[in-house]
Amino acid sequence: MSGRTLAGTAVKAGLLGGLAVVYVAAVGMIGSFVALNLIGEQVTMSRVLMALPAFLAGYLVARPRVQGGVVQRAATGVAVLAGTGAGVLTGAVTAAGLALAKVPSPDTVRGIFERVTPALFHTISFGQSVPTAALLLMLAGGALGGVGALLQMLPETYRRPINVALMCTLLMALLQRLIPTILIQLALKFGSASPREWSNWLYSSRFSGLTVIGSVVVFAASVAVALLWANQGPKLRARAGSLAGNRRPFVTGGAAVAILALLFVLPILSGSVVSLVLGTVGIFLLMGLGLNIVVGYAGLLDLGYVAFFAVGAYMMGVLTATGDSGSSLHPQLPFLVAIPLVMLAAAFTGVLIGAPVLRLRGDYLAIVTLGFGEIARVLAVSDLLKKYLGGPLGLYHIPQHFLGVGFNDPEKFFYLVTAFVLLALYVSWRLARSRIGRAWTAMREDEQVAEAMGISTVKYKLLAFSMGAAIGCLSGALFAVQIGSLEPLGFNIIVSITALAVIILGGMGSIPGVIVGALVLIGIPNLLDEFQAYRLLIYGGVLVGIMILRPQGLVPNTRRARELLEEEIEQDQWGKGTGGPSIDATVAVGGAGE
Amino acid sequence: MILFVVIVVGVTYGTWKTLTLPEGSPRHLSGPAWRDLVVFGVAQGSVYGLIALGYTMVYGVLRMINFAHGEVFMCGAFASFFVAGTLDSSGFLNRNPVGSIVILILVGMLVSAGVAVLVERVAYRPLRNAPRLVPLITAIGASLFLQNSVRGFFGVQTQGYPDIDVLDGRWTILGIPILKAQVLMIAAAVVGMVGLTLFVARTRTGKSMRAVAEDKEIASLMGIDVDKVIVKTFAIGGMLAGVAGVLYALVFSVVHPLMGFVPGIKAFTAAVLGGIGSITGAALGGLILGILESVGPSLFLNGSHVPSPNQLRDVVAFTILVLVLIFRPGGILGAGGPEKV
Repeated sequence: MSGRTLAGTAVKAGLLGGLAVVYVAAVGMIGSFVALNLIGEQVTMSRVLMALPAFLAGYLVARPRVQGGVVQRAATGVAVLAGTGAGVLTGAVTAAGLALAKVPSPDTVRGIFERVTPALFHTISFGQSVPTAALLLMLAGGALGGVGALLQMLPETYRRPINVALMCTLLMALLQRLIPTILIQLALKFGSASPREWSNWLYSSRFSGLTVIGSVVVFAASVAVALLWANQGPKLRARAGSLAGNRRPFVTGGAAVAILALLFVLPILSGSVVSLVLGTVGIFLLMGLGLNIVVGYAGLLDLGYVAFFAVGAYMMGVLTATGDSGSSLHPQLPFLVAIPLVMLAAAFTGVLIGAPVLRLRGDYLAIVTLGFGEIARVLAVSDLLKKYLGGPLGLYHIPQHFLGVGFNDPEKFFYLVTAFVLLALYVSWRLARSRIGRAWTAMREDEQVAEAMGISTVKYKLLAFSMGAAIGCLSGALFAVQIGSLEPLGFNIIVSITALAVIILGGMGSIPGVIVGALVLIGIPNLLDEFQAYRLLIYGGVLVGIMILRPQGLVPNTRRARELLEEEIEQDQWGKGTGGPSIDATVAVGGAGE
Repeated sequence: MILFVVIVVGVTYGTWKTLTLPEGSPRHLSGPAWRDLVVFGVAQGSVYGLIALGYTMVYGVLRMINFAHGEVFMCGAFASFFVAGTLDSSGFLNRNPVGSIVILILVGMLVSAGVAVLVERVAYRPLRNAPRLVPLITAIGASLFLQNSVRGFFGVQTQGYPDIDVLDGRWTILGIPILKAQVLMIAAAVVGMVGLTLFVARTRTGKSMRAVAEDKEIASLMGIDVDKVIVKTFAIGGMLAGVAGVLYALVFSVVHPLMGFVPGIKAFTAAVLGGIGSITGAALGGLILGILESVGPSLFLNGSHVPSPNQLRDVVAFTILVLVLIFRPGGILGAGGPEKV
């Protein structure tokens, strides 16, 4: 790689990094995360956000690049130099942003960007004057960029474990409200006299982040595990694969029992606040599993998924609520009778929505379903159905106490959700491997060919819509139980997009992916209040970022990944076949009218 | 098909019921009231038409729905809001209203065009040949991201847009009193559409846009820089959305981070209704949608015993969207007309 291109890349990375810091500052993240300690009292989330761009700039600048089919790797010294340069530039741009915001009078800028406060200036400038701060920012940026580049230059065997360990440490730091509680509860269960000591070495009770020692331990442990896995993993996997057929059920069965046991003790150990969060995760996990059938399996992008969530919630409310719920109907059915009725109604709604849009594909389908979702919301608020759905006031007094258990207790509710999630997981898993699942795959990959092979696309599309709806409505029904009342304004497009983000992050069509997506995107923002305000911003970023960097998701489904990447390979082959398939995939514009 | 018949019968019946309401009935609307609804609909439709142009152009060239277009519109409105605030406090706004309006519109255009180009560069260009679902998902992501960035930057609250005194009151045109700001809206829409039609038909850039819309590869073989043309398309669409954003903010006197979402979807409906890819179609679709959603709820539902029909305004718009996409996805002006941009 010639020196000039490297320098150019470094400048670009540095500028982008600096702009990224200015952006997170202006949008308010740095200001909001000042008190969120990750490691010790110095490494706060704000500092991490400020440091990350410089580090990544360095890391990415030093990345080997393919030029004319040849992998080009810069010499270590040069790469580190370039990384340092990019980092310094990041610091410089940050400092420039700081100066620019301070020069007019701070009030002018604050009149427009309301999060640009004196407190923010203090955080970014480390409490120093602008010139000193600029110097500090550039020095820190340079160091971080250099370290990033150095990490990139390490051989693969060391780089991977370090990357994994960095992520693990960050994750552990972010789970600071979950793990200490579990540790303390464990200590109590084991009859420890000073339960706090079980967690204090790892998480400080004073500033609530990881302690310095704790972070070192976590980091070292993750490096060790990752190294071990890199060495022994393939062997282990081979052994599991070669296990004699009659012993395999014991292994899988053992794993299943272990997971069930873990799920059973989790709410007991983690307390009611965390259980509440886990319950919400479960609700979105159900929704994600339902949407995954429609989007991931059948390849139909549904942006009105909230309609099914609303149907589930409202049906549950209307069917089970007592007389003073705000609805004039109150059959007061028991929960177990209501659930199948709700699912039937949702499946019917799925067919109702699916039937008219059968001929639409891709983006038109997305926008029509979005329209349906909005119609559902407007109808729920309107006076037209007020008699039944309570209008803008919504429904209340939805029973939370049935089967002899009070599900307003978050721990109990967690078990309820888990039961349904396990059921939905099993159904999804079996569906993917069934004749139906294969038909969906065929349809998703090429509708015309599937039709030619004798697959009734009408039938399977409707099946996807109704099955997705039946699972999605469960999330709504459980949501009604969890809250005990329904407020119609909550049923908006954001719910649909959240569910979409959940399945996109993990990977479309991948069941473990949905689980990961729900845990990360729903769990973390709900555990750390600081993230709540930026939840939607992060979802938007996830949707864009994942689609560009890793369209198959974090835990991809092999087949779906191949489909998504195949097209990328195709795009490199200029001049062949790019026009044909994309035109075929457009809506059949010509076939207007019945 | 059955659905279609049911809807036609329902709408006809509702209309007949409404029009035969007795004079004294509380839900009876007088002639002027209907006229005002129509005027409001036309003005609203102009905004939809202006935004729809952006959708139509991008769809024509890239075959994708630029979901973030509603946010482009919102960004233009926000940018002009801050400039208007500054102009207002310096007194320039009411001293030199025409100049200020021009400045505001220019600012809105520039910022919206910038945002549109940025979105294209970051979210769409890397995915030019990816499966069709993929850019749609990034578009949704970009829309959400922009919305919430603006929320983070400027706060969640609805902010009042400064009033421009000359725009208060009404002008009477052809015996019909119309709010001045609405006149401006309609005029801007007409200018925008005529200008765009001429631009696409007469200029070299317009020609290359048509070529790219027809076939990207052949266009690139003919020496057209496809990426550059796409950037220009986004920039022009963004400018028109910016104008629409500023005028929308002037008429409703508020800006809000979420203000782009619903007009965005409705403008898309307008584009589809008129026939996506067609400039005249966007204008026509905007007009029809604006009038239908303004008049429709009262016309179809006042006679029947539906409480508060105006709450169902959005239902009308979305029902139209769904119906058009199902029954006539090519739109009113038919499929694949010659002027595909």
